[in-house]
Amino acid sequence: AKWDDPPNTNVALADAGIPGSLPRLNPECVGIAARAILGLNGKVQKQSSFDRKHYFYSDQPLGFQITQQRSPIGRGGKVSLGHNEGLDYTKDIRIHQLQLEQDTAKSVHDVYPGYVLTDLNRAGVALLEIVSEPDIETPEEAALYVRKMQTLLRHIRVSHCNMEEGSMRCDVNVSVYRNSDHRLSGTRCELKNLNSLKVIRGAVSAEIRRQIETIESGNPVEQETRGFDARQGKTFVIRSKEDAPDYRYMPEPDIPEIHLTDEWIEAARLALPELPEVALARIQEQYGLSKETVETILAEPGCVDLFEDTARGRNAKTVASWITSEVFGQLSYRAQRLQDSMLTSGQLSGLIDALETKSVTSAQAKKLLIAYMNGETQS
Amino acid sequence: MDEFGMGSKNEFSIYGATRNPCEQTPEVGGSKERHQPHRHSPGGSSGGSAAAVASGMCRIALGSDTGGSVRLPAAWCGVVGFKPTYGRVSRHGLAAYGSSLDAIGVMARSVCDVRAAFHVMSVSDPRDMTCMSSKLRRRIESFTGSREWTKHVDWENGATKASKPLDGVRIGIPKEFWVDELSLSALESWKSGAQRLADLGCEIVQVSLPHIPSSLPAYYTLAFAESSSNLARYDGIRYGTRSNQLPAKSNGSNASYKYANTRSEGLGSEVQRRILLGTYVMTASASEQYHVLAQKIRRLIQKDFDSVFALPNVLALDGADPPGPAVADRPKGVDALLFPTATDTAPLLGTLAQNPVTGYVNDIMTVPANLAGIPAVSVPVDIDSTGMPVGLQLAAQFGDDDLLLSIAAHLQSQFV
Repeated sequence: AKWDDPPNTNVALADAGIPGSLPRLNPECVGIAARAILGLNGKVQKQSSFDRKHYFYSDQPLGFQITQQRSPIGRGGKVSLGHNEGLDYTKDIRIHQLQLEQDTAKSVHDVYPGYVLTDLNRAGVALLEIVSEPDIETPEEAALYVRKMQTLLRHIRVSHCNMEEGSMRCDVNVSVYRNSDHRLSGTRCELKNLNSLKVIRGAVSAEIRRQIETIESGNPVEQETRGFDARQGKTFVIRSKEDAPDYRYMPEPDIPEIHLTDEWIEAARLALPELPEVALARIQEQYGLSKETVETILAEPGCVDLFEDTARGRNAKTVASWITSEVFGQLSYRAQRLQDSMLTSGQLSGLIDALETKSVTSAQAKKLLIAYMNGETQS
Repeated sequence: MDEFGMGSKNEFSIYGATRNPCEQTPEVGGSKERHQPHRHSPGGSSGGSAAAVASGMCRIALGSDTGGSVRLPAAWCGVVGFKPTYGRVSRHGLAAYGSSLDAIGVMARSVCDVRAAFHVMSVSDPRDMTCMSSKLRRRIESFTGSREWTKHVDWENGATKASKPLDGVRIGIPKEFWVDELSLSALESWKSGAQRLADLGCEIVQVSLPHIPSSLPAYYTLAFAESSSNLARYDGIRYGTRSNQLPAKSNGSNASYKYANTRSEGLGSEVQRRILLGTYVMTASASEQYHVLAQKIRRLIQKDFDSVFALPNVLALDGADPPGPAVADRPKGVDALLFPTATDTAPLLGTLAQNPVTGYVNDIMTVPANLAGIPAVSVPVDIDSTGMPVGLQLAAQFGDDDLLLSIAAHLQSQFV
């Protein structure tokens, strides 16, 4: 199943709410959640459970969402921002909790006027929601936090974290306060449907401006759910407090509690790949490469392995250069991810060796690379 | 069947009420009958199944028992109605009412047939996460199998091979079920049932389940809450009937109004009543006072049962292996409980009082077993002075379905 399959072609009985159907927890999702929690330095909870969150909406076929309100699978953790992200200070953005929950269906407006169309393909699919503590204080920090989260989660194979595809989504809560007041004294507004880092930055800036203007003109900030109009550079109301539903949380009776053992959690920890920050320092040191080069390599999932396999016994700078300019250039041309490409480290190694011994010219080597990436396996 | 399983008398069906085949009417289907003012309820909500078995249309019928919906109609129609331990039979395919209470039950004219059907259905199912795994089933089996003093309880065809086949079995009479509403016929059959079990060799003792009086309000709070949740999906969008009336407002954010016409037209009045009550007890302002409290009472009722049964509750053992000698030495506690299935025999249809809530009191004898998830069975024992059947109920510890059915078979054989 793919994210852009035709509507209503990937529907399970339980996701359509067919009477008699029952939900099932996918154990793989528990494993993925544990990886994410450990990668973020959080604590995997040995016991967690599910709840039903009730509200009626066209994208909610059962009239409730299965989520983890009382007892989430992960607590704590952090994302560190600093010089590597281009800031001239360092700061930890702490994570409050991580929870597993169901995705909703997709509502499509504006296709048939007067109708809302519902696509159930993604309904019921597991999501991992990561809730931060209110440590973020600028629009820039918000965007950097999300970007760093993307890099990390891609690296440990939790998700593609692709905002265009919807494999990562982002809601931001914003409030302001006077210096003389308590940090969290302001009324929060939730900004939803922010689908790129640029939009996050813009939306948060716009909302801060709006809230300050509201307060300075003597009015209170109302608790609302708002969206961002990128063209106008302003946020707008989606839902006001009066329309906010009472979710009537109830323990989910169809899914038993999750019980994890210390052994299981430890095994998950050992199976984690080397975390990006650790790899960044080590590869610079071990191969004498620049920080920018290593960052470029780290940013592409699977690239570290390709680099290290190829660089063994060879000139690291040459290998790095081939990867970051030629290979990445080809990937970009094909709109492909490295993980989906056919190129092997064996092929790349052979190519670089041949260049070294001058058995091929630079131009021929580039042609060879293209052939390899087309799937041809000549030597 | 009452609509969505919501009813105790089989009155709430858009297809009309079901008749109780045990009533003393001259002809079924004849013109005389249509003018007959007295029509008895078969019970509910699985009254159709009970009526079918009682009238000989079939040998075995299934029902769902959330608060007594298999046992009550079985008692009122004079057949056997069995509610297994929660999780024995998969709920996949059962339109959910109260997910933590629902159990698929079996009805037949003999316990023998009930047991045969039950054994076929009692298997693990990965499609239902609350259905007992094979591992848990084996654990329960080794647990109950290690119990020395019931090993001799002969099941085979229910016939007494020994003069005292239930020698050593201890039956508890819970005093909290002796309620004011109990009719003379219910009381009489309760005493008579206890006497017959004693004749078979049982030791009869009185026990106390102190929180039973709170079980009815706790049950209805939880059942209605869960059903309001499980019935939220009936909105006419993906299946089912949809109202022709257009929604009232066109405000995009609040979608409940879009479903209101469909649900008001498509759901019966009793169903709507229960959904509204269930929704209410889960609202932020009421939840602590009703829903959370009901869950706590439920836990206390489960503990009450655990305190009177000789067999520990395998769920409370937390991964420990079945205790060896402790279970082998006859501990304190009873092996099964005996009490009536209903406060009276089948009432007349149409006698539902102005306040439908008074009908809920019928369930007072049956809901505790659903709250605790323990197995319970109604056995036909008697006929009252008006000729209507009386049922007696046996309940056992969580997972102890086979022993329960053995005792039930012996009890039934005493009244045939």
